Amino acid sequence: MRIAAVLLAALALGGASFPTHADPAETDSDLAATDQDYAAGRKAIVARQWEEAIARLRKAEVRNPDHADLQNDLGYAYRNLKQFDAAFRHYKRALELQPRHRGAHEYIGEAYLMVGDVPNAEKHLAALRAICLLPCEELTDLEKAFAKYRR
Amino acid sequence: MSAKRLAFAVSASFLLASSLAARAHEDEAPGGKLGKVSFPTSCARAVQPTFERAVAMLHSFWYNLAEKTFADILAQDPGCTVTAWGYAAILMSNPLAGAGASAEGAKKAQAAIDNARRTPPKTQRERDYVEAVAAYYEDWANRPEKARQLSRSKAFEALAAKYPKDDEAQIFSALYIAGTQSQADQTYAAYMKAVAILEPQFKKHPNHPGVAHYLIHSYDAPPIAPKGLVAARRYAGIAPDAPHALHMPSHIFTRVGSWEESIATNLRSATVARTAADWPEAYHASDYAVYAYLQLGRDDEARLTMEEALRFSGGDSPSPAFPYAAAAMPARLAMERGDWKAAAQLKPIASKLPFTDALTYFARAIGAARSGDVAAAEKDAGQLAEIHRRLETAKNAYWATEVEVQRLAVAGWIAQAKGNAEEGAKLMRASADLEDRNEKHIVTPGRIVPARELLGEMLLEQKQPAAALKEFETSQVREPNRFRNYAGSAIAAEAMGDRKKAAEYYAKLLELSKKGDGNRPELARAKAYVAQQ
Repeated sequence: MRIAAVLLAALALGGASFPTHADPAETDSDLAATDQDYAAGRKAIVARQWEEAIARLRKAEVRNPDHADLQNDLGYAYRNLKQFDAAFRHYKRALELQPRHRGAHEYIGEAYLMVGDVPNAEKHLAALRAICLLPCEELTDLEKAFAKYRR
Repeated sequence: MSAKRLAFAVSASFLLASSLAARAHEDEAPGGKLGKVSFPTSCARAVQPTFERAVAMLHSFWYNLAEKTFADILAQDPGCTVTAWGYAAILMSNPLAGAGASAEGAKKAQAAIDNARRTPPKTQRERDYVEAVAAYYEDWANRPEKARQLSRSKAFEALAAKYPKDDEAQIFSALYIAGTQSQADQTYAAYMKAVAILEPQFKKHPNHPGVAHYLIHSYDAPPIAPKGLVAARRYAGIAPDAPHALHMPSHIFTRVGSWEESIATNLRSATVARTAADWPEAYHASDYAVYAYLQLGRDDEARLTMEEALRFSGGDSPSPAFPYAAAAMPARLAMERGDWKAAAQLKPIASKLPFTDALTYFARAIGAARSGDVAAAEKDAGQLAEIHRRLETAKNAYWATEVEVQRLAVAGWIAQAKGNAEEGAKLMRASADLEDRNEKHIVTPGRIVPARELLGEMLLEQKQPAAALKEFETSQVREPNRFRNYAGSAIAAEAMGDRKKAAEYYAKLLELSKKGDGNRPELARAKAYVAQQ
């Protein structure tokens, strides 16, 4: 009888089933788990489909304009298309949102090297050296990019 | 059964019996005693009391029971389509947590709203409630959560303005205004705007669950927390059968270091939550109680509370509250007592949430480093590095930062153990500074130990008592009335030759732990110092 009542109520509510328990101690969720466009954008990055990645990430950006990782991913996709103005815009936004974002420091540093702007690349190398008191891949990778650039 | 264990069991039974007696008159109603709410509707008279109980559940964030209750009402009275408002409000989840509705939840809420538009509630006021909540879901997929929150806040402000005598409209408006508070705004403007609405309502409705509850949230920040004490002290009595109502006041009690009150409300919360098979809430409350007991030096009761909690499985809830508390409680028990060997031997518990696993590795590594076992500390530091990498890959920035705080602290204590004091202090300071920039998560009463307190302890070991005292006193601002802080402050002041300050801190330590077990070495030192004076 109770099950029937609940089903009837669900139908009256437009066929909706009922939500699962919403816990007041819920944690920050991974955006890729909650936003299909972001998940698809990241998948496209892995597949090196840069235009598809940008299209999906831009859709996700509408809902999540203050997400540093999303901005960093957009920067990366534009960088791979050699659209450096857009890439710098998104990397800078990522760092505005999260000044200690190691990935954004590394990638924008590499992007500056790609356009031959060594002074700006060095700023991000210095930032990573200050942030990475513990060894971090981002610093190692940017140092390698510098070494390669100078060869 | 030991005398202590028996006393603990009797005390827990008494709390439960008192709670049961107090609510006896409301036991027949779903949810028990939930406070007083008046929400007149055009629904059938038979469902009106149940409707008001569902609204009371909504006010105490008891969403799973509220959703069933709204569904039952609609089953009994299919014309009561104002239930769509309540249903859609539940699907927005905790308005103060910031996450908002899920994509699936938004679809369901919109379906309910559409249904209410096809079969509108009978009064304009009820239709306005449905439209107010609809403002949040409008064009949901193409708007950021902050924009949705703002729409919701404005819509409920308009509702409150249109119906100035409808106190429920005023109260929900205050909740959604508080839900727009930015973490970056240290003036707490949105919270204060909500408080301006809620305080007069509190005088008018002293037994309303939402008013007391939202006042607690609106004062849940370090500088304004003391103002929330009145609401915190009253909320648990208003809705003693809502697990969240019993636990929530302890957010304020923890902020101000009122440990006795935190213990009392969390023990009741854990008991009620277990009765309701709400395992995450039971673990969450137990962790808060363990934290509070340890500040009072009541170590045996902390251990018994932990053991009682761990007797039950956490169920299959996706909530982090269970794995977090299961890992945090043993780590707190070892580290707050300075039992570094016990900390080093904690058993890692694998969970689906890497940041909860990190708690154990953090405690193990600090314990090993402070016991002189550098090799073991470095091994656990490697585990923390791997967890940090996983969190970064998952783009979980908040918890990646928390684990980075732990990694820096561990690296600092490893450097200290290797005799590199300067490097140790540099890393430990970086850990404390990073922690200060990352607000604590609501899943926890506090970090396992505050990083700045660990910095104070390291500086003490390095024979820099003045610098140590400065760090301890800075830590007190955000983490007041802590046992280890007072102990460290007293020892630092004594080492500096500041006898007055040392005596003050030792006296605070003895006062804090007057009901404690009296086994910690800091207490023997405090008693000896005070006796000399």
